[in-house]
Amino acid sequence: MTLTAKPLALIILVFLLGGIAFSSAMGWWQTESTKIPVTFSEGEFAGQANPVDIRGSYTFGDIANSFNVTPEILAQAFGITETEPASFAIKELETIYLDSGFEIGTASVRLFVAYYTGLPFDTTGQEIYMPRSATDILLAKGNLTAEQIAYLEKYTVDIGLNTESVIVSTSVPVQTSSEISEEYIVKGKTTFGELITWGVSQAVIEALINAPLPDSATTVKDYASANGLDFETLKPALQAEVDKARP
Amino acid sequence: MVTLFGKRIRLFRPRTIWIRRIVQWFFFLLIASIAINHTLVENDMGIPLLGSASLHAVCPFGGVETLYTFATGGLLVKKIHDSSLVLAAIVLLLSILFGPVFCGWVCPLGTVQEWTGKLGRKLFKRRYNHFVPVKIDNILRYMRYGILVWVLYVTAKSGMLVFEAYDPYFALFNFWSTDVAWSALAILGITLTLSVFVERPWCKYACPYGAVLGVTNLFRVFSIKRAESTCKADGACSIMCPMNIEVDTKTVVRDHQCISCLECTSEAICPVAKTVVFTSGGVK
Repeated sequence: MTLTAKPLALIILVFLLGGIAFSSAMGWWQTESTKIPVTFSEGEFAGQANPVDIRGSYTFGDIANSFNVTPEILAQAFGITETEPASFAIKELETIYLDSGFEIGTASVRLFVAYYTGLPFDTTGQEIYMPRSATDILLAKGNLTAEQIAYLEKYTVDIGLNTESVIVSTSVPVQTSSEISEEYIVKGKTTFGELITWGVSQAVIEALINAPLPDSATTVKDYASANGLDFETLKPALQAEVDKARP
Repeated sequence: MVTLFGKRIRLFRPRTIWIRRIVQWFFFLLIASIAINHTLVENDMGIPLLGSASLHAVCPFGGVETLYTFATGGLLVKKIHDSSLVLAAIVLLLSILFGPVFCGWVCPLGTVQEWTGKLGRKLFKRRYNHFVPVKIDNILRYMRYGILVWVLYVTAKSGMLVFEAYDPYFALFNFWSTDVAWSALAILGITLTLSVFVERPWCKYACPYGAVLGVTNLFRVFSIKRAESTCKADGACSIMCPMNIEVDTKTVVRDHQCISCLECTSEAICPVAKTVVFTSGGVK
């Protein structure tokens, strides 16, 4: 069979455009990220989202949808002071930390999410830098192995963020590492997010308030008032858990 | 058609495959529109009916780059989407049947090199595309396989699109963006400059995707074939070949650099009907 140019041109167009149309119909034609990371296919964590597949186009909210880490915690870890941290895109981190001289971006978020949630993450041969605020949260959570702590110690950097470079219209104040480490005392303005970063597990908090964990930016006192709980009774119970988590 | 000395000769023939130019323009404009629209969408604008796909999403080579991570862990390399795998599969099928028609008819970087080459053709006439000594040229043409191996290795190892920083195709359609590395822009500049002297220098010497598709020339279904019985041996087909393949010395073109542009055929430069043809069968 001999082909000339015109039929060949037609074949090329039909193959390419028809192929795209066919794959669209079959649901294979995806030109954008679904914002849902792939899951581990085998082993202890089979079926759970894999932090390795977190992409720069994800927002903190996208991560919260797939992993057990709130946008507020992520914002606190990476020094982001947006009104709605859930809409913050990870790829913006590289710009924000550009002047620091260290590459803090998507890889840092992947590592943070993995360590925070206890999911496996291979750091072999990788130099992933972490801001001090993120490392403090991970250490406070208290679920890291000695190897992971050693890795963080090696790659944690103290960075004074130029807050003008961050999109600021703050409602959730960013805690500095010194603020985190100075005191772990449950007060009226203590938020549930802080309790989590201090190492109190979600399950313990939920048991004490007898309800699902509220938004991490909610203060314990406000929650108690709104839900008919006695803050003065709740406070020592929570403090005891904080003390247990941070002996 | 007239018959001279027992051979059928076409007096008025097109010297080029004009429909290939149209197809090339179509895909150039399509890809350019997609790239521009992606930038517009990122800035909260955008052209209706055009999707917001990135350039990576419509590049079949992305499907090749991500094959290792996809096969070993079900992961796609960052910035690559399922669409790249779909396109890679379609282009591979096309290539197995018809050779690297993607290179000759679709790839906008090849098209732009051809446009630049027209200037070289005007300036240097017959010397154009014959500046590189044959011995050196023959060696350089295998360089693209080395580049392919390097690209696949670093991509598999890092899980990142490392080649993006050197990719003139990405630079061509994103030169206005801060996403483009200076190295990619430099390579694009060098490629276009060399195009004035050599036809499709990137395709010949450096394109890793051309290396992948070029392999299909060895077993493709439809090939360029020359009928020795009617051939005038005037060498026109070889002179016209953008990839410098000596078509007039072969009965079947199995050269790994053929891009199936059909410019050597009797439909274009060859003056004798049915002498250089694109066929799945034999020729007399």
